[in-house]
Amino acid sequence: MMVIVIGGGWAGCAAALQAKKCGAEVLIIEKTDMLLGLGNVGGIIRNNGRWTAAEEMIALGGGDLFEIADRCARHKNVEFPGHKHATLYDVNIIEAEVRKYLYSMGINIMFENRVVDVEMEGRRIKSVYLHDGTEIEGDVFIETTGSTGPIGNCLRYGNGCSMCILRCPSYGPRISISMRAGVEDLQGLRGDESFGAMSGSCKLEKDSLSKELQEQLDKDGVVVIPVPKEDINLDKLKNKVCQQYALKEFAENIVLLDTGHAKLMTSYYPLEKLRKIPGFERARFIDPYSGGKANSIRYLSMAPRDNHMKVVGIDNLFVGGEKSGLFVGHTEAIVTGTLAGYNAVRAGLGLNLVELPTSLAVGDIIKFENESKQTIEGLKQRYTFAGAVYFERMKELNLYITDVDKIRKKVEGLFLKDFFKNKII
Amino acid sequence: MFKFVDCIDAGTEYCPCYLAEKGECIICSQLKGRAFCDCLNWKGTCIFQEYTWNNNKAKKARDFKEYVLKSINFLRDDLIIMEVFVNPYLAKQLNNIGSYVFLKKPQSPHCFAMPVSIMKSNIKNNVITMAIKILGVKTKDILDCKEKVEIKGPYWNGVQGQIFLKNLKNSEILISARGVAASPCVMVANKLKKHNNNVIVILDKGRSNENFAKKEFLDLGCKVYDVNMIDYSNYTLKDEFKKLINELMRKHDFKVTMSGGSDEFHRLYLNYIYSVNKNLNFATVNNALMTCGEGVCGSCHLKLCNGQVIRGCKQQYNPAEVFINIKGDVNI
Repeated sequence: MMVIVIGGGWAGCAAALQAKKCGAEVLIIEKTDMLLGLGNVGGIIRNNGRWTAAEEMIALGGGDLFEIADRCARHKNVEFPGHKHATLYDVNIIEAEVRKYLYSMGINIMFENRVVDVEMEGRRIKSVYLHDGTEIEGDVFIETTGSTGPIGNCLRYGNGCSMCILRCPSYGPRISISMRAGVEDLQGLRGDESFGAMSGSCKLEKDSLSKELQEQLDKDGVVVIPVPKEDINLDKLKNKVCQQYALKEFAENIVLLDTGHAKLMTSYYPLEKLRKIPGFERARFIDPYSGGKANSIRYLSMAPRDNHMKVVGIDNLFVGGEKSGLFVGHTEAIVTGTLAGYNAVRAGLGLNLVELPTSLAVGDIIKFENESKQTIEGLKQRYTFAGAVYFERMKELNLYITDVDKIRKKVEGLFLKDFFKNKII
Repeated sequence: MFKFVDCIDAGTEYCPCYLAEKGECIICSQLKGRAFCDCLNWKGTCIFQEYTWNNNKAKKARDFKEYVLKSINFLRDDLIIMEVFVNPYLAKQLNNIGSYVFLKKPQSPHCFAMPVSIMKSNIKNNVITMAIKILGVKTKDILDCKEKVEIKGPYWNGVQGQIFLKNLKNSEILISARGVAASPCVMVANKLKKHNNNVIVILDKGRSNENFAKKEFLDLGCKVYDVNMIDYSNYTLKDEFKKLINELMRKHDFKVTMSGGSDEFHRLYLNYIYSVNKNLNFATVNNALMTCGEGVCGSCHLKLCNGQVIRGCKQQYNPAEVFINIKGDVNI
């Protein structure tokens, strides 16, 4: 059975890995020259409820990528405003590690190839077309193209192309494959009901900061500096993707995290203003390159899905990551991608599809997000284990657990220990 | 189904054009009345971004300018070679596959403007060379030019299937051309030779027993064959032409073939080639009727087999989609 994964970000890698572990032939088609997509500039895992989610996945046998991220950690147990026990992985080394692992598992990857269209046979996708017209047939397809950009969207709904890691001008823009297959995309909303949301952090070249700031970042992983009063802009928080970081503290303070770069926890920051702050006199942006004026726009291209991660209306298309909903973060991408990969193989074999139990945070978030986004208010929310509405829910339902043994026992109690390790072909 | 959609002007200094201004852009979904990107036919630049940065307006369109006429050389009563001194910019821009300009006599009204393919463009002395067949009102009017002509350009859509020509390197191509349609084929041969392609040319003897462009092809180092291509009694391909094609296709590994002739000729020729070898890509001389060159007037519109309307003056299509009859019931 041939499973084709379109988009090699965290969700695509997780989906491909899971489909391979289940026994399928797997091909990832990635438009750029790197895996992980926005994961190349992210770096935060295990903060707040993401700790629980990561441990649940490890107990379920789907923790391979978390183990790589843990190995690539620069800092563990970091605290910053509103967030506890975060791990910051090194964005400068992790892509090569994940790539090596996927190759070692026997997963095929086509880089620098952009999928632009599909060939349908009734309610099934028969094949996909690359930008040069090459047709590639598969049995089951997983779309993990995300919901970010491309340039025209970042312009219409944001401050223009900020030259982010997705590099649309170099590798061509993202195409919504589910829409090419005839399923209308859903869009996330902002508070004022305009479409999309802006990515919530940018990265500074660490070497451009003062020696003191560099040392503090290297030592603690985090630096918090008050923003000059005249520059505090609470409105900017409303546009932010990452509602878990849309706290007042993030408007009133500059929060820097050490992910290999100095991750600045705000969508963008005018360079002139930034350089007035002591320690930032020589600061320059490394991602997005135009972080002084803009950042990428997201949530403009989600496919309606069921809780098996199958796209509604198409029999053999699955989705994960931001393509599958208003999820924020690597952890959420890996969780949804893994389930998509698992069910893709089951669908290919004609087996019943599975849902993850709602007694686990990883199952509950998939169901909760799907129900919530049926309403306008729900479309204004973002769903992450790390904060905002879903972390509150985790706490209310006692799903937020940091005791690893307790999580393992819980998974064992559900007879789901190493569930994702089972070969089904 | 994969859609081959391409606008020859996309990403050039003439993009975005009037079509974008009116929500009719050939390439960009956001400039076609949609709210989100759907870049199936990405050309390397974001046209919506260019449009926004140009204050939501089209870029300045091409306009007529006067140039000095170098020479008019009569090959026959009804066939001329015209050479014109243009500026370095135009000479460079027209030194491309599919280049054409609109040409008219100074002071003649715009309705006299006619599209003419560029056979050669010399970027050293800035002279462009065109072959013109005197057929009707516009071409007769041009014969009255004394010292100057008016030219509007550059345009590039004089050849369809350009993607197959531009991607061809270290390979082999068969060009079959007749009459004045050999002119844009000279430019094609010139460019393909520069990419180390073996260019084989079959020319129709026609009335003069030798096509005017034969010397040009020979000068470029092409192998040239002269045949009679058409049996006019029933407008089909002559046996001697078919025999030569078969022979050459046995001898060479052609990846692309180019047809230089009328649409009727394209249909006969492409279907015959397709009946011999289904793997060849096709390029054709663009015979669309053109009046404005900007996709606005509608005279160049044609319909593909799937009903899709093409603006022939600036939109590329795959000639196979227009001319090949897959059922094979064309009387070749």
